[in-house]
Amino acid sequence: MTELLARFAPGIAEWLTLCAVLYAIGLYGLLTRRNAIAILMAVEIMLNAAALNFVAFNRFIAPDAVDGHVMAIFIIVMAAAEIVVGMAIVVALYRLRGSVDVNQMNSMKG
Amino acid sequence: MIADATYTVLFYGLSIAVVVLALAAVNARQLLRAALGLMGMLALSAGFYVMLRAEFLAGVQILVYVGGIVVLIVFAIMLTRSSELLEDHPRAATRAFGAVFSIAFMLISCMALRATEFPVVPNAAPSGDEIHKIGVALLDRGSAGYLLPFEVVSLLLLVAVVGGTVVARKTPPKDQPFTTGGDLRGETILHPARVQDESPPAGGKP
Repeated sequence: MTELLARFAPGIAEWLTLCAVLYAIGLYGLLTRRNAIAILMAVEIMLNAAALNFVAFNRFIAPDAVDGHVMAIFIIVMAAAEIVVGMAIVVALYRLRGSVDVNQMNSMKG
Repeated sequence: MIADATYTVLFYGLSIAVVVLALAAVNARQLLRAALGLMGMLALSAGFYVMLRAEFLAGVQILVYVGGIVVLIVFAIMLTRSSELLEDHPRAATRAFGAVFSIAFMLISCMALRATEFPVVPNAAPSGDEIHKIGVALLDRGSAGYLLPFEVVSLLLLVAVVGGTVVARKTPPKDQPFTTGGDLRGETILHPARVQDESPPAGGKP
């Protein structure tokens, strides 16, 4: 039993498959949600999967370097900045129109 | 041997938990529950970072995502009253389109993964002083360093803080000078009691 489990220890392909699944889940949320906050949450899932991807590449391909870690840090910082501005826009929009439904946000339509 | 077996069990157990929580985050009708799913998913992802020997990133993940971003999302849900006003029901056609699109994306990327040969270093063991190396890499001015991106990112954070404050504050009416105190008219609507206290009593002036 232990030998069998040890033989299936995850390599880079398993990690990258996991990231692809998480990214696809985020993409599904991005495409189906109507609430702007829920869309931003789906984007967070996708960004998290991308950061995990960088770290997995770092671990398996260049274990002595830390470039993947630095990239993941930049992604996390960018996600924080994005969510701050996004939430500010959502709150301002709610104050202006009383709704955060993206299907109703068509006031820039020509 | 035992370590490898434990690693496998941990990987698949955490993977199942994270995928289920992510599905809850994109499918839950109530947005607060979705935020809870997102929080669990991000917290468990810190476990993935530990498994990949990136302990510093695991700490950053907990601090920034679980401690900051999820709290911000919960605040935004409550401020916009999304949990009570707007139920998020996607139409069946939208759901089917999203499912087909994302599953197709997943299959294509998995097929590309299978077709690629990665130059994997066999039996790679990280040296264990990642935090030191990250600090050096972030402030290194040489060709292997990230000093310029580091400074640009700090500027980005400053811009995000200022921009978020400016966008989210109430717009003052035209006759009122720019203050950070907000809109007096909005205050009138939100807190009628306070405005009544501040207004001069009727007939006070002769």
